[in-house]
Amino acid sequence: MITSLIRRAIQAGFVIFAMTLIVFIGVNVIGNPVDILINPDLNQAERLRVVESLGLDRPLWQQYLSFLHGLAQGDFGDSFVYSKPALDVIVERLPATLELALCAMLIAIVVGLPLGLYAGLYPNRVSSKIIMTGSILGFSLPTFWVGLMFILLFAVQLGWLPSNGRGETELLFGARWSFLTADGLAHLFLPALNLALFKTSLILRLTRAGVQEVVMQDYVKFARAKGLRENRIIFVHILKNLMIPVVTIIGLEFGSLIAFSVVTESIFGWPGMGKLIIDSINLLDRPVIVAYLMMMVVLFVSLNFIIDICYTLLDPRVRLDGKG
Amino acid sequence: MTTYVTRRSFHASVMALLAATAFCSPAFAQEAELRIGMASPITSLDPHEDSNSPNNATSRHIWDSLINRGGSAENKPQLATEWEIVDDTHWRFTLREGVKFHDGSAFDAEDVVASLIRARDKESQAFASYTRTIKSVTAEDAHTVVVETTGPDPLILNSLSRIRIISSEFADAPVTDFENGPAAFGTGPFKLVSYKPGDRVELVRNEEYFDGPADWSKVTLRQVPDEGGRLASLLAGDLDVIEALPAEGVDRVEGNSNLKVIRGKATRIVYLGMDVARDETPFVTAKDGSPLGANPFKDARVRKALLMGMNREAIVDRVMSKNGTVAHQFVAEGFFGHSDEVEEVPYDVEGAKALLAEAGYPDGFALTIHGPSGRYLNDSEIVQAAAQMLTRIGIDTKVEVLPWSVYSSKYSDGEYSLFLGSWGVNTGEVSNPAIAIVAGRDAEKGLGRYNGGGIDVPEINALIEKAASTLEDGEREQIQRELSNLIFNETWLLPMHNESVVLGAKKNIDFAPRADTYTLAYEIHDNTK
Repeated sequence: MITSLIRRAIQAGFVIFAMTLIVFIGVNVIGNPVDILINPDLNQAERLRVVESLGLDRPLWQQYLSFLHGLAQGDFGDSFVYSKPALDVIVERLPATLELALCAMLIAIVVGLPLGLYAGLYPNRVSSKIIMTGSILGFSLPTFWVGLMFILLFAVQLGWLPSNGRGETELLFGARWSFLTADGLAHLFLPALNLALFKTSLILRLTRAGVQEVVMQDYVKFARAKGLRENRIIFVHILKNLMIPVVTIIGLEFGSLIAFSVVTESIFGWPGMGKLIIDSINLLDRPVIVAYLMMMVVLFVSLNFIIDICYTLLDPRVRLDGKG
Repeated sequence: MTTYVTRRSFHASVMALLAATAFCSPAFAQEAELRIGMASPITSLDPHEDSNSPNNATSRHIWDSLINRGGSAENKPQLATEWEIVDDTHWRFTLREGVKFHDGSAFDAEDVVASLIRARDKESQAFASYTRTIKSVTAEDAHTVVVETTGPDPLILNSLSRIRIISSEFADAPVTDFENGPAAFGTGPFKLVSYKPGDRVELVRNEEYFDGPADWSKVTLRQVPDEGGRLASLLAGDLDVIEALPAEGVDRVEGNSNLKVIRGKATRIVYLGMDVARDETPFVTAKDGSPLGANPFKDARVRKALLMGMNREAIVDRVMSKNGTVAHQFVAEGFFGHSDEVEEVPYDVEGAKALLAEAGYPDGFALTIHGPSGRYLNDSEIVQAAAQMLTRIGIDTKVEVLPWSVYSSKYSDGEYSLFLGSWGVNTGEVSNPAIAIVAGRDAEKGLGRYNGGGIDVPEINALIEKAASTLEDGEREQIQRELSNLIFNETWLLPMHNESVVLGAKKNIDFAPRADTYTLAYEIHDNTK
């Protein structure tokens, strides 16, 4: 397991290296950050001064080298836009995104897994058919539309929940969290539900397909023949065996929830990272883009690693070192 | 038993009543909260770090300036009570006495010196256009400051209205100190409670504000860039005022008995620029694609035909959903340099065709119009509408729209033949857009930086330089009027429209929108009180 961890860390290092190169070149291909960032009223001398202070006057390869140099000391550089360390800008918004993603994933699992199990075990019941039809809506309706509908229904018409923003927060582990206050939870509910909708349908359908496949297997038939209780058959023999693809999807989707929930974040005015990265790309704020993408690479690599550990727990035949 | 009301007892009871009401009314105002939905996020709370509208509007809640810039771009006293011109390059300001910072320390001349110099020397150079003429700032005594300029600067009052005065104690403080840090206080009408980046700024009333306390005890500036989300929050009652009410929400807000639409004129002008410099311009050809052999935009008749061919009323009415007014020159009536002698070119398809024929293009020609997308209100739609209208007068027009990050440098460097541009006239004077987009390009002097059409008219250049060094207001206004005449009667630019400020608000909100589009809680009043 240790060697596997090391190997992955090295792989991640390569990915990050390649990514920083791509971003550095990419940003310069899109446009000149100077034209976007600098006040249009400035004269030539003032412009030069700013360009110099941002370090954009040097050739690209020099900028890249000094970036690598800073990186070696844990410094991602200062954001062009916010004039603060890029990492601080991102970390400020990390808790908001993290709790939203966790909450959405929790809803998706708690709702999707049991319903999928049910629909798989009893595929001919009317209720199962309703569930399956509902799940089609769940992943075919566009997120932004559902989000606006949620707001119109629950906030504007019924007035039950707040329409927008993060609400009150409470300090925990040095970060501010919404889920610790009632007001924060009320603000969290709609965006989390909005994000969860698609993931729920995905998990639901995946679980159902898995159940239908596993139910046919000889060991399930044998368990039944042995006279085991239905609960044991479902939760040990069936569930455990269909979890591998489900866990994979949960892991990857969790990553994408953290990295790419831009639409929901902007509709609900949720001050998370998704909105930040889009703004940064529009403003060509290179340090933030680079730091953000590096964090995402690390995130996805760690998630994959966690998923692999889950595999070994679920299926004793899987060995981390064997496959890599 | 009878009681006699003597004159004395009557007076006493009236006085008691008055005293009681006087005590009651502030208590009455104490429970008022205002939540404003801002359309664009702020990038920093450091008032000197970055100069953009949302930042500057936010900083005005917490910090004051020497000069108070009013809603129609007029200069009024704020921390300076009066000022005088000592000579061409020296201005003396008398500071208000008895003003205190939120932390209790007294405001004096040292704070002014430190703030102006900090804004001038900051690495970001965000306020350079306002501070570049400041040579030195000296405190004559605790309440008198002399500002020396590098040359005669008629716009110094406007410039000083942009620079917030911080406590001299924090002149060297980094950005983070102003964001929930020790330096986050000023002399302004509100005190900072907390700043949550990308989300909100929470403020409470400064009860000791020199100009009297605000109507609102608590103010929240929410940043809600998403149009749908902002509108929904207003409809749901989570926000009291929202900026930039989206056009599709106007009907809904007007139809709601608790809400209303507030409209005002902004100073942003949207225009089409033309390449008038090159002998052959890259995106204009004959209709069959062969080279035209000349640049038609060099002919004033062609430029006027283009303007005549565009139904700008329709663009304002349909594309902009009435959130704008047709423009004929840089600034609307009432602003500095507006001229009554600028000809208002009407929409006239036949007239436009006749002008084209007269200029030697009876069959028109073909061109590509360029524009940004998502930068200005309905920018790509405006370009498309203009293209259709030009096609109607015989100019086959193709449209190319690019993201701002790609477009911005290309249009200002003059790569296009016909292009959409826009300028926020932030001094309220004609000279401001003229310097940037009409003056002949001169990097040294900072002239014509956004002159994407390559306009270079000696007469205009001379007037622009003259306006920049004339201190006397009447004379300067006359120069700027002439400037308007020269630019627009020769159609060097095609003025399209001025954007409007459109806000959605609860019925009880009274607010006169400002030309600079700032939504200032101090100027918002509750009409039920």
